[in-house]
Order: sequence, then structure tokens, then C-alpha cells
Amino acid sequence: MSELIKPVTGVDVRDTSVRAVRIEATNHEGSFLGKTLAPKKFASGVDSGFAFADLLFGLDLGNAPAFGFAYPAWRGHLDDVYFRPDLSTRVEWEPGLDAVIGDYWLKDGTPVPLCPRNLTRRMVDRLASLGFAATVAVEIEATVFEESIHEARARGYRDLTPLGGSAGTAYHLAKSKDWTGYMNSVADRLDAVGIEWEAWNDEDAAGQIEINLAPGDPIAVCDAWARTRQIMRELAFDLGHTVTFMAKPTAGYGQASHINLSLQRDGVNAFYAEEGPSEVMRHAVGGLLATIEGNTSIVLPQITSYRRLVDLSGPPVTATWGISNKTTAVRAVCGHPSYSRLEYRVPGADANLYLALAGVLAGVIAGVERKIEPPEPVAEMAWCMPPGEITRLPDTITKAAAALEADPILRDLLGAEFVDYWVGSRRWEWMQFHTAGGDPFAELSEWESARYFELP
Amino acid sequence: MTETTTAPAVSRAATATEVDIRIEDDATPLVRLIGRTLRDAARAGHVLPAPQESAATVAIRSHDTPQAATITFGSGTVDVSSGVLVESDATLTVDLNARFAPTSDPSGDADLAAGALLALSPPVPDWRTAAEHFWNAGRSVPGFPDVLIAVTEGPEGLEQVVLGDGETHYLIAGAPETLAGVFSGSDDLLAVLSSGVLGIQGTLSQLSVMIGASWKVRYDV
Repeated sequence: MSELIKPVTGVDVRDTSVRAVRIEATNHEGSFLGKTLAPKKFASGVDSGFAFADLLFGLDLGNAPAFGFAYPAWRGHLDDVYFRPDLSTRVEWEPGLDAVIGDYWLKDGTPVPLCPRNLTRRMVDRLASLGFAATVAVEIEATVFEESIHEARARGYRDLTPLGGSAGTAYHLAKSKDWTGYMNSVADRLDAVGIEWEAWNDEDAAGQIEINLAPGDPIAVCDAWARTRQIMRELAFDLGHTVTFMAKPTAGYGQASHINLSLQRDGVNAFYAEEGPSEVMRHAVGGLLATIEGNTSIVLPQITSYRRLVDLSGPPVTATWGISNKTTAVRAVCGHPSYSRLEYRVPGADANLYLALAGVLAGVIAGVERKIEPPEPVAEMAWCMPPGEITRLPDTITKAAAALEADPILRDLLGAEFVDYWVGSRRWEWMQFHTAGGDPFAELSEWESARYFELP
Repeated sequence: MTETTTAPAVSRAATATEVDIRIEDDATPLVRLIGRTLRDAARAGHVLPAPQESAATVAIRSHDTPQAATITFGSGTVDVSSGVLVESDATLTVDLNARFAPTSDPSGDADLAAGALLALSPPVPDWRTAAEHFWNAGRSVPGFPDVLIAVTEGPEGLEQVVLGDGETHYLIAGAPETLAGVFSGSDDLLAVLSSGVLGIQGTLSQLSVMIGASWKVRYDV
């Protein structure tokens, strides 16, 4: 059970105060999907699961079926998959409504290979077989606008007013009350639902915030991430505002979702060494860099994700690592028994954290299992480097998809079915963008705002 | 520029020559569509514009989406790139789902525009030849059926082409010109299917694979 999410214990499905139970999980795009069930219906399916049409893994963010590649056999003709609740995640979401996160399974009782939560768990289990447990943390970045969601929709999600004013970037306390009021409400709701948060602050763009959840085990952190975003949306709507996790909601700054990670063995931080990175950390870096081009497809999932990759603007643009070097893709924090960790800085705010973590853990597992030595750490600034000096990250959705398709490590660890499906769906996304209204020469096209602002 | 095709072509003066048709790296679907279409035109012996100067540029714009590309006709080369980043000698606004049919009068050099339009209108092969082309191109797509059956109604009743051998079958039926358009890549499979003039028989997954195969012949991806 997660240390991040405190469950509602002793809640009986016959408890008459519970009017409904909402079952929840993300799909491959990172959208938080579910159904609201009557208590009796929920009780009837706790063991057998609840049927969902497979289209939850088959539709793109424009509600069109993704075509262009072979579907796994289990998809059939819009066949059902089954959601099984993880009762350890059950919480009181609001008076009368409980919420439970779960996973998708096939009829034969095997996990749906595309199910993000199952995929993360597979990597956690593989890591455990090597004697390690991962501790992870995620930075959630979002931008809040003054306008209501209805007004934002009417405007095509463009020309909105940043909540809290447009002055200053990062850490400013001189924000208007509506901004602090929103974030205080978010913190209150997190407390009420039992999600442990550590900090929130003004981030780099107007209206942008960053919230940090407490570190924990990967599944628990992912669950908390999904619920925190849901809370942020619900509260923004309640307060007449709008929030987005788009990689770049305006033509200005983008939004990231950095992942911090360490490995514990027998309760001790295996990344710690008195001098520099430990051997385990070094191998983890080696695996992360060996898979970084393929993983880029997973952690930068949408067309807009790649608009962030601009030198000198914050995100990494090269396949590099460095010690205490935030211009590289993987930053190593060394020399502290507790805080020694790796920060994987590529993911955008639009990444599905379950999948992003599955990809990152796959890289770590490969590095540790195969004792992959990393290249030399980069001590200089890893932006604007001369051509040929260093490998740049794939900078389009098609280049990244091709890198993932060709990555033998990720194919082996994440499974061919997931990789092929993901690559196919990214190519579909590329085709949709270009042929259905997107504009690659716009700083941010209307097609992108319409497709990515509200979802995922 | 990495993807190149050298194809025989005929210049404006009707002299057979070699034309190197090149598209940029990581090209957009429109750039790929133009590149593939020009290659088909060159193979068919269609006349490609031969500039009097060192190079002539034609901007191609979609009439209903932001898609745009620039064709640069040079001496023995044709380069296709995304967007319109230079002042072009001619501009064509076209319907990309109607085989580059102009939706308004071209602007700029009228002769160049007419030459470009001609180059973008290669002859569509007959439906049997096109089906074979589709079969050969699509077979590399994972999940492509063992057998492709194309069915049409000819003057003497139903006619069909059966390509391949094996357990999994896929059937596509339509008028000869419809089949020819889809199988050659001249027309978009999904768009044609949505218009209701094409019949298909197979699984949902096979349809998805067929669309992937149609991208191969249309966009050369």
C-alpha cells in the first residue's frame, strides 16, 4: 500500500453513506478514465472486474480510432477488457463518493499489455527480482488561467489570462489572492484525500505552478499523480478557472514532469557513494542513456511535447548526463546518503507518468542487469553544443517513434506488443496533426490547443 | 535531403533525362505525397517543368488545412520541402483529397504553375496493376493479410484479382477507378471509405493494417 495515499479503512460497500464508487485508471494517452458505480454494482464486480470497451486503448485524443498498424489479438472487434480495482487505493473522494484506482486485465486473467499501471508494476517487480526497490518523486507542472473552462472552450483555449498575473517568473510571492486561493484549495483537497504533498510554488511562466508530491514507491506515486491532476482540474472548474497540463499551453514556456529516482537495497540508498556516483548509479545512468532516444517517444508523447525542446529554454535537448548539471537529460545528485538520486529531466507535463516511469525503470533495469557503463558526464553546458559533439534527443514525434521501434532493450523489457502499439499510435498522431489541421510552422497551432489543452 | 529517387523524365522540351527527386529528412505527409507523385509522373514519362533560370519554385498549399510545401525544380533535380519559406515563382492552392485539383486560379508564373500541375497529375494505372502494386508495397506491414482480393464489376460481370496465398484474407470491392485510385495511392483510403463507394471485408485490425499499407503507397512511409 502506498505511503502517499491513505486509504479509507473499514468502509463497507453496504455503508449507506456511500452513494457511489468511482473506478479510475489512465489509458495509454494519460487520460484519467473511469465509471461511477452504484455501491451494489461495485460490490458485485470487485473480484470479477468491470467491463470496459477496448476503445479506451483504441481512440486518439480527438475520439477517432487510431489506424495504421496491427492491433493485438485481444482487441478483436471492440471487445471488452476488465478493470479490477486495487482496494488499497480506495479513498473517500468527497462525501458520498469513494474512488478506487485499478488495472486492466484480459478475459484470461493476464494483464492488458498496454495497461500503464500494469506495465509499471511489471518493471517494479523486475527490479525487485534484482534486489532493488525504487523510490521516486515527480514534479507536477501546470498552468492556471482566470477564465472558466466554458469560456476557454469558447475561445479555443487561446488568448487566456494567466491566473495570478503576468509579472515575474518562478518563486514570486507577489501573486494575487485568486492564485494562492486556488493552490491553498488544492493543498486542502490533497490533505483531505490523503495525498502527501511537500511544496508548491510559482513556476517559470505566467500562471504556471509546480507542486511536489512526497517521494514513494512507483505505483503509489503514479496513483497520487493521477489523482492530484484530477483534483487540480475539479477545483479549477469549481472556482471558475481553467488548468492545463499541456506540454506548452501557450507559445511561451513549456511544462515538464521531471522524475527523481533512487534505488534502495535492504533499505539503503544504492546510489550513494562518498565520492561521486555509486557503481549502481553509474550503471543506472548507463541504462538510461542507452534507452533515452527510444524513451523520448514515451515521455514526450504528443506533437506539442517536442515544441519544448529548445536550447537554453530549460528542457534538455541532448542525450547526456552530468553531475549537478541541469542542462543535461539526466542529472546525478551525489554524495548524500539520503538524497543521492537521478533526475530524469526529459518528460513533459503531458506524459503519462505510469508509462514514463515504466520506460525509465526499464532503462535502469537494463543498466543494472547488463552493467552498462555510461559515457563521460558532461561538465559543460549541454545546450547549443557544436554539431557532432553530442547526440541530440529526437526532436519530432516521428524520429522518437523510430528510435523506440529500433530499441532492443525497451522492446525486450516493455514488450513488443506495447512498443508496436505505441509506435503505431504515435505515427497516427503525426498523420492526424499534419492532415487534419495542425500547422508545424505555427508556434502553437489551434489544432494542438483543441486536442491537448483539456486532455490528457 | 536524404531520400532520393532517380527516375527517367522528359523535360519541357520533351527530351528524356534523369531527374533526381529529393525530399527532406523527416518529411511531412504532404512533402512525401508530392515526392511520390512526382516520381510516379517521372516514371510515366510525364513532363516535369525545366526552368529557364537555375531553379524555379512552386508553392503548394492545401485549400482546407495549413499543409504547405515548396517544390524547387532545378537542372536535373527536384527538391520538395515543407512549408513555404521563400517567395515562390508560382503558387497553387489545391484539394489534396482530389489529386491536387486546383481550388482557385494559380498565382505567379502561369506556365510554371501549369507545368507543376501536370507533373502532379500522373496517369493512374489500371485497377489490376494498382492492386498488384498495393500488394507488393503493403506486404511488409505487420499483420498484412495473406491474401488480398480486389473485386469490381466489369462489362462482363464481376471481376476479381486474388493476390497471395494463405489463411487470412481481405477483400476490397469498388468501381475500377475507385480501386485504382486507392491502390495506387492517388486517393486516401480512409477518405474514400468514408464516402461509401468502397466495400471491405475483414477484421478491424486488418482495416488498420490496410490503412498503414495505404500510407505506404500514398506517402511512401
